[in-house]
Amino acid sequence: MSSIEELKRELERETKARQEAEDLLAQKSHELNASNLELRESEKIVRAILNTVASGIVTFDVSGLIESANQAAEQMFGHSEAEMIDTKIRDLLPDLYELETGNLREIYLQSVREEGGGLDQDAFAIRKGGQPFPVDVAVAELNTSCTTMFVAVLKDMTKHVEMQRQLVQAQKLESIGQLAAGIAHEINTPIQFVGDNVRFISDSIQDLLSLIGDYRDLVNMGEPNAIETDRSQKTQEIEEKADLPFLEEELPKALEQSLEGVDRVAQIVRAMKEFSHPGGEGKQSININEAIQNTITVAKNEWKYVAEIVTEFDSTLSLVPCLPGEFNQVILNILVNAAHAIGEVSDKESDRLGTITFTTRQNGDCAEIRIKDTGPGIPDEAKTKIFDPFFTTKEVGKGTGQGLAIAHSVITEKHGGHLTFESEMGKGTTFIIRLPLIEEAVAEDQA
Amino acid sequence: MVSKAEKKKILFVDDEPNVLNGLKRMLRSMRNEWDMTFASGGQEALDILVDTAMDVVVSDMRMPHIDGVRLLTEVKQRYPNTVRIILSGQAEEEAILRSIGPSHQFLSKPCDPTILKQTVSRACALRDLLENGHLRNAVSQLCSLPSMPSLYVNLLELLKEPDCTARHVSAIIEKDMGMLAKVLQLVNSAYFGPSRKVNSAKEAVTMLGMDVIKSLVFSVQVFSQFDQDKVSCLSIDELWQHSLGVGILARRIAQVECQDQRIINDAFIAGVMHDAGKLILALNLPEQYSKTIALTKEKTIPHWKAELEVFGTSHAEVGAYLLGLWGLPNSIVEAVAYHHTAQECPGDEFSPLTAVHVADAIYVSNTEHVADIFDHADKPVSNIGQPYDVDGEYLDRLNLTDRLPLWHKAALEERTQGVPI
Repeated sequence: MSSIEELKRELERETKARQEAEDLLAQKSHELNASNLELRESEKIVRAILNTVASGIVTFDVSGLIESANQAAEQMFGHSEAEMIDTKIRDLLPDLYELETGNLREIYLQSVREEGGGLDQDAFAIRKGGQPFPVDVAVAELNTSCTTMFVAVLKDMTKHVEMQRQLVQAQKLESIGQLAAGIAHEINTPIQFVGDNVRFISDSIQDLLSLIGDYRDLVNMGEPNAIETDRSQKTQEIEEKADLPFLEEELPKALEQSLEGVDRVAQIVRAMKEFSHPGGEGKQSININEAIQNTITVAKNEWKYVAEIVTEFDSTLSLVPCLPGEFNQVILNILVNAAHAIGEVSDKESDRLGTITFTTRQNGDCAEIRIKDTGPGIPDEAKTKIFDPFFTTKEVGKGTGQGLAIAHSVITEKHGGHLTFESEMGKGTTFIIRLPLIEEAVAEDQA
Repeated sequence: MVSKAEKKKILFVDDEPNVLNGLKRMLRSMRNEWDMTFASGGQEALDILVDTAMDVVVSDMRMPHIDGVRLLTEVKQRYPNTVRIILSGQAEEEAILRSIGPSHQFLSKPCDPTILKQTVSRACALRDLLENGHLRNAVSQLCSLPSMPSLYVNLLELLKEPDCTARHVSAIIEKDMGMLAKVLQLVNSAYFGPSRKVNSAKEAVTMLGMDVIKSLVFSVQVFSQFDQDKVSCLSIDELWQHSLGVGILARRIAQVECQDQRIINDAFIAGVMHDAGKLILALNLPEQYSKTIALTKEKTIPHWKAELEVFGTSHAEVGAYLLGLWGLPNSIVEAVAYHHTAQECPGDEFSPLTAVHVADAIYVSNTEHVADIFDHADKPVSNIGQPYDVDGEYLDRLNLTDRLPLWHKAALEERTQGVPI
């Protein structure tokens, strides 16, 4: 073998190897290109998917800087993605961070860890222009090899909250409608007897005036030496004609009962006004004893045929911060339920009236209201359902099953309180409302 | 001075003592005419009724234990003769509809003292109209008059249509004495509140509203169908044809005679209702009613005179008693009561009675095949076309005798326009 041949072969090998390497390179680069394309394609798909999702999705890094936002998030906040990137997530979702430390609130992350992303938390988000709106938020923490990031999934709750508000309003109207008929009855009755009495008084005054005329005639006619017995007999005659003994007996009573009737009408009208227009929109510190008494007065026609009301109010109870309109609604709902429950028993059995007892007292940091009825009690199978919306045991037309559900949501969600009950079959049910005497920080934030 | 025995006995029931006290004082001026008792609840009222027969009971609606409906239902069964009136402050339609059955009339609180006095006085006066206690019981217990089956079915079908209107509904109701009487009873009860009396089906249906009409028909079921199989002595078709025919003629006569829409409406209603008593008698006392028909043939006397012989009273008083109990306008009750005996009714002016009396006579004498029960001439009608049995002395008293040919002509025009005569 000559060295030339050697060299030649070497060259051939080298050339071939190079060719192979080039081919490989070309193939790899082709492959890379293809996978690049594929990657881009799949990113597009992911992007498209993210943009079709109705929930807003925003990713941000550990320092809280936004990295991406989908279309739903853009619509929700009114900012474009470009506007949002590199701004702080807490500008959009202040609730996510603790005010003092500036740390991401544990509660939003916990929910995802514990429930696998299922449990959402209520929060307020800020739209472009500073308008707050209610959202449901879930935040997930993503750990990759090189970095940690967060994904926030958001649902705009504006419509939901609005519908809930309308539902509460509808239920309020329903019970006011029911009350209106009762109140008409409560007012018509005193008006009837006030009218009758006033008619009587008016007629009686005519009789008395003509009696005075007769007296005058008698005095004027009186001859100095008229026989006294004659005069007294005459007097008796004209007094009998005017029905005087009856008038003497009845006129004061007629006046007294008329005034009583007028007071009754005034009282119920006042209570109705207090009940339906208790004041502004926000929370106010109110005397709940007075509020409960008002509601009892307004709803009198609902309970008076089945029950007596006993009130054991703690007069030293301090004012309770609450939404007065909503609070009245809760008391009314529970009162009407109690009356219906007692009505079920008294229909079947004796003629005796049942009792509804209202008790108020301070219990720790809370004001506690207990409403106890002597109804049939709540059967076990219904106990878990009574706060469910649309759950009702009443016949069609007697209720929509919203009363207790709304009472529960008003007490727990709007007041941060508790609504529970104790019930024993055959003995009755007690509803217990606990309202915090000091408003929670969250509620203040929202206000 | 009226002796105590002749005073009417009125029982007032209310759970609110102040209301009773108020009534007691306000009605003090009636003490020479009425013997008034006051009970503070349903049970007390029933206890009082055991010992004392009452002419009229006026009861509150909502009371604990025995409420107004329960009380009046008991009274209806035990003492049918007693007139039952509700005086309630209740504002719910449902509750009012519930009281339709057991009560004759419904007054709402607050009630004008004059209206209360009038209503009770009228109820008392009615008792003298119908002296036969047995019949009075039967009439007082009636909640409804059965309807012409075809009209009843028509109404049911119409009400199921989504776009049915008050006009369509009233067009059916006014053809049927049962339905007409019932809606007028309701709309003239004080709850539905007109201070004046309503006297047309259209106005009544409009005022009650379609919802009330529907619950009357479907849930309270105040209308019912006449069952011809159960009543053989009276042909429902003949009765309805005759009643509607007289109603239309009476309206026409009233239109000829006056401009007053109230008299015109009353004339029509009284015409449609004038033989309601026949229906009541045939339904409740079918055997005796058959006897009256036999008697009419046997003695060739007018049917209403045969009724007098058998019942001691005629269908005119029976029908008027019911309409009076139900609180229909006085002029209608009067027209029904005296439609055979117009001369006995006081008054010198044209009235719905005049229209009905004449319309009835013209109708009968112009119809070829009149059933005996509608013929009230003392002598058989021989000459078709002549209203022989119009009470001449009555028309003379009213100075209207010369108007008769005019009315007759107008009536015949109605016939050419398709009235069933």
